[in-house]
Formats: sequence, C-alpha cells, structure tokens
Amino acid sequence: MATRALLAVISASPNRCFISPSRIKILQSSTSSSSVHFHRHSRKIHRIARSYSSDSDSSVLQPPDVSRLAQTARISLTPAEIEECETKIRRVIDWFGQLQQVDVNSVEPAIRAEMDGGNLREDAPETFENRDSIRASIPSFEEAYLKVPKILNKE
Amino acid sequence: MSTTLLRTFQPNQFSLLGTSLLRRRRSNNFSVRFCGSQTTTTHEAKQSSPTRVAPKNHKSNKLDEILRDYEAVIGIETHVQLSTLTKAFCSCSNNYGSYPNTSICPVCMGLPGALPVLNSKVVEFGVRLGLALNCDLSLKSKFDRKQYFYPDLPKGYQISQFDIPIASGGYVDLDIPLEFGGGHRRFGITRVHMEEDAGKLLHSDTGDYSQVDLNRAGVPLLEIVSEPDMRSGIEAAEYACEMQRIARYLGVSNGNMQEGSLRCDVNISIRPIGQAEFGTKVEIKNLNAFSAISRAIDYEISRQALLYNQGKADQIVTETRLWEEGAQKTVTMRKKEGLADYRYFPEPDLPEVILTKEYVDSIRASLPELPEAKRRRYEAMGLGMQDVLFLANDVSVAEYFDAVIGKGAEVKLAANWIMSDIAAYLKNEKLSINDIKLTPQELAELIAAIKDGTISGKIGKEILFELLAKGGTVKGMIKAKDLVQITDPVEIEKMVIQVVSENPKQLEQYRSGKTKLQGYFAGQIMKMSKGKANPGLLNKILLEKLNAKD
Repeated sequence: MATRALLAVISASPNRCFISPSRIKILQSSTSSSSVHFHRHSRKIHRIARSYSSDSDSSVLQPPDVSRLAQTARISLTPAEIEECETKIRRVIDWFGQLQQVDVNSVEPAIRAEMDGGNLREDAPETFENRDSIRASIPSFEEAYLKVPKILNKE
Repeated sequence: MSTTLLRTFQPNQFSLLGTSLLRRRRSNNFSVRFCGSQTTTTHEAKQSSPTRVAPKNHKSNKLDEILRDYEAVIGIETHVQLSTLTKAFCSCSNNYGSYPNTSICPVCMGLPGALPVLNSKVVEFGVRLGLALNCDLSLKSKFDRKQYFYPDLPKGYQISQFDIPIASGGYVDLDIPLEFGGGHRRFGITRVHMEEDAGKLLHSDTGDYSQVDLNRAGVPLLEIVSEPDMRSGIEAAEYACEMQRIARYLGVSNGNMQEGSLRCDVNISIRPIGQAEFGTKVEIKNLNAFSAISRAIDYEISRQALLYNQGKADQIVTETRLWEEGAQKTVTMRKKEGLADYRYFPEPDLPEVILTKEYVDSIRASLPELPEAKRRRYEAMGLGMQDVLFLANDVSVAEYFDAVIGKGAEVKLAANWIMSDIAAYLKNEKLSINDIKLTPQELAELIAAIKDGTISGKIGKEILFELLAKGGTVKGMIKAKDLVQITDPVEIEKMVIQVVSENPKQLEQYRSGKTKLQGYFAGQIMKMSKGKANPGLLNKILLEKLNAKD
C-alpha cells in the first residue's frame, strides 16, 4: 500500500515523474498501518485533485505541496514528516527538471520504454493456490466478503 | 464507475427476443411519444399529426411539445464485459456467479510485487470490436493507470487506456423500428479502449457497512464511447441494442444487461433548436435495460426543458444522476465540481500493445456477417423491415433462418414460420432457438411439403409443435400418422356426397338462401377427412354439389 501510495504521490506531481524504489522507504514506516483506512477519506479527493488538472507544459517545475499530495494519496503525515518529505521529493523533481532541459526535438517520441514485446498470456485459467492467506490478510473479512464502511457515492 | 451502481437487478429477463420484447412493450404505451420524439432528428419542429390517437399518458404530449423548441444531444459510454476465460492481467477465472472472493490472486488483489500480464484474448476482442465498429486501429497502443480511491479497486488505480486507445474514429449503422418512425441512422464511434473492471460493491439495507466481492476486479472490459450523435431516447436505446447485438454476433460478450455484462452511461444535454453550442451535460447511470435508457432520457429532456422554460437554466448543472426504475425518474447522485483528475500516467508494468498488419487482417477475415450486413442482405431478399429487424436481432435466430433458407425454403415462408409459430413456442416454453429439436433441414422440408400440397397448412402447424418438442423428420411423421393431404377429387367428392346426403335439413336451408351453411358442410367434411382434405378442392366440389339442381 505504501509503495503504491507513494507512486500516486509522485504521479500527482505536475510532471508525472517516477521515483526509484530505494526512495520509497521514506514513507513506509509512517503508512504501513493505514491500508485499511483509505476509504475514510474518499470524499475529499476531488477538490485536491482538481488543482492539478490545469497544469501547463511549462518547464518550470512547481515545488511539491506535500500535504496536498499526501491527502490525494490518502496518507496521513505529521508536520515533521511533511517537512522531511518535501526536501526529498523536491530533490527528485529537480532531477526531472534537469532531464526536461535535454533537447529532444530530433528524437522520435517513444510511447513506452523498451520492453520485451509480445509477452501476451494465453487465456487459460489457473487457480492461485494460496488464496486463503490473501483472504486471511484482509483486515475486515466477514461472510465471504470484504467489509467496508458504507459508501454510496464516489468522491 | 458505473460498475458499482448495478446492484439493482430487474427480475424480468431479456431473452431471445430482446428488442422485439422491448418494442412490443413500448408500442403498447409509448409508441405515440416515440414517434413524436423521432421528429427531432430532422432538426425542425413538426406539427403532430391531427389523426393521431391521443396518447394514454399526457406526459408524452408534453414531450412532443418540448421537442418543438428543444433538441436533445446524447452520447453514450458502453462498457462491454468480455467473455474471456480469465481476467485481463492475471490467470484468475472470469466466471460470473462464483462464490465471492474466490477468483483472486496477488495481481488482481494489488499485492506488492505482483505484475500484470495481458491476456491475448483481450487484444483479439478489442480488434474484433474495433473492426466491427469501422474504427481505425492503433498498431501501437499502451495502457495507463487511472487513479482513484474506492473500496472496489484494490490497487488504487484502474489499468485503462488513456491517450492512445486500441481503436478510434468509427461508426455504427442501424435501423429504427417502424413503430418508432423507422429510418436508417449512422452514429459516430469516438473510441474503443481496453480496461479492467473493478470489484462489486453490495450495500446492505441494514447496517452501516458495504460488502466487496473482488471476483470481478480485473475482469476485462471494452469501453465504447459514442459521438454525441443521438437526439432522442429511442435512438439511444436502439444504439445500445445494436452494441449488444454486435457484441453477441462477435462472441466477445454475452451482452447481458442484468448481469452487468453490458452497461451504458448516458450523457445528455438539451439546447434550444437553432443554438450551435451544447447545453450543460448531465450523466445518467444505473441504466440496466434498454427501456430504462429511453425512458430516463425522456425524463431528463422534460426536466431540463422545464428548467429552461422557467428561466432556471442555470440550475442544470454538470452532475451524475441515477435512474430510479421504481419512481421512473432521475435523481442527483453526485455533483461534479469540475473535471475529475485521475492523474493518468503510463502503466509501467505493461509493454505497449503492438498489432501487426497480418494479425489485424486475419481477424478481419474471421469476422462473422455483422447485424447491419445481415439486415441489408435480408432486405435485398425482399423481406419487409419488420421481418428484417426481427430475424437479424438475435444471432442464433439469424443463423437458424439462414440455415433454413440454405436448405432451399422460400424466404418469406421461412420468415413467417420462425416469426409466428416458432417464436410463440419459444416464448411460451421460455426456450432459445438453439434448444428446439426441429432442425433447419426439417423446417425447410415442412415448408416444402405444404407448398407442394403433400400436407395441408393446418396439419403442417400441428406437426410443427411435435417436431419442435420431440424432433423427428417431416417425412417420417407424415407417413407414421398418415397425414398426406387428400387431393384426389373423386375421394373428396365421395365425402362431399355423403355429408350432403346425411344433412338434408341443412341442405334445404342452404338452398332456400342460408348460404352461410356452406361453412357447416365444409367443417363436417374436413372432420370426416381428419383434416386431410385439400381445402380448395373441397370447397370447389362442395359448392358444385350444394348448388346442383337435382
């Protein structure tokens, strides 16, 4: 969860950049217990997300607003953690800023990074054997279902 | 996320006769109003015909009036759940109705370290549908992550296609049924893209919690986005019907709306006729029947027009509304504060999707005859539009009909048998045409036997039901039951003479002017022949005998 949440934080930043796995550790300690609670905040996402929808392509990179990003990713951070993250995320963003300065006018854009292509899967079912332990790790599981707070409206 | 809203299931099922059932139901109550709304597509206000039957429901009158001043602009997003054996990105089985939370694995549960691998069938189905909708295919497309938080989405994002869908820029052709004004329409298809479904949320009536079943999480979908080309509820419903038909013809989905395998979200705005720019758009969800689509749109047109007429157009806001089947109205579900920001970015765990020209060509070559081509072919055979629409509606019925005429049966006769007696039988017995024991070969035999006079039409009908239920051959049954029609005039004459002589009283009455008694005599003779006498010959000989002055 924390991994994913951080990816979401990063992707929420204006230039949609990535971060190397080693940096993911930053937030892990503070969020490892929050995976079940993500739905509690689900109504707040919209207002926050909106402020990022009008990003321009300007090469000047905005400094990160960590508390907003944390909210967007449903992560609770203490002011101290926000401060700590801000410096680190800013460093990453600055690094992407350097990348953006590279002149790529003569390079044909790649829609994806090079990967081994053609690795499609046959449409043949296979049961994952260890389903019990997946279900056992669900914090609130009752009568065959995941139990979550009642949510009728998205966002 | 329409998926979460389909928790209300309608008890009545659309079976074989999907559209015709809908058509019939509508034509009872709503045909007047649909004909009315049909006129809007010509972009001009039309006077309603004075000879028209007064509508039962005064709301329909109101809608006609509204549509003299306003035009509705409608676009539809259709989610087609694919009938693959496995999910889109993992090997979990894709099986509707499995015990909750059993078809799960680390990939679809979004556990750390699990990596998605694309199901080749999803690409194939995407290409099939894209080609069927006359789209341009992207030989290189990619997946993106669409991020939002909701309990039915374990990963916190949906794998979808954002800026490069697999197919785009197509169109679909369809025919509007005659009872709704008829006519041929072409609606634009903006795009078709591949994505995964979310889990299913069940909301308990009591208690303050909801339940999640993640068997559906990761099941493959194709989302079809239409251009805003539709102008009435009936056009929108027919568009949705055609999407279902195409999905079923292609075999990419069972298209079952009640199970949520075909889900439509409608975007609708109205504008004063003549105005170029669109009005404020409202989205309607929870439409799990074709009739709901057209009725929800009609309701929405009325609601928005009322606000316009009252000078409250500013109260039409960008929002998502829910169709309430019970109350037959739409209600606010959520107001949108602006464009949702899903923070799309390229899915780093999946490579781009590359299609070769050879691959596309091989799929193009394997496409079946599609509904539109079938309708045009049936029309060219001389069938009327009502027959054409009925036969082409269901791919199994169309295949059956094609097989019957393939065996040499006369086109119109084959259509009549399928549309009347066989359809009635299927409806009564709640069967699909694939369940009947009567083979296309034998139906062709039956039609031929009646046509060449071997058996009478009446007897043909009688043995039809036995053939439908038990199977067997027409020839065998005719022989076993001694059903061959009596066409020998001498034999018929014998029976005529006997019946006439046994009824002297009726004969006298007939000859004194009560000529209606001919029917009585004919009935008696037919009874004597066990229904086998050729009716034409019988009546000819009977008349001669009755009118003979002996």
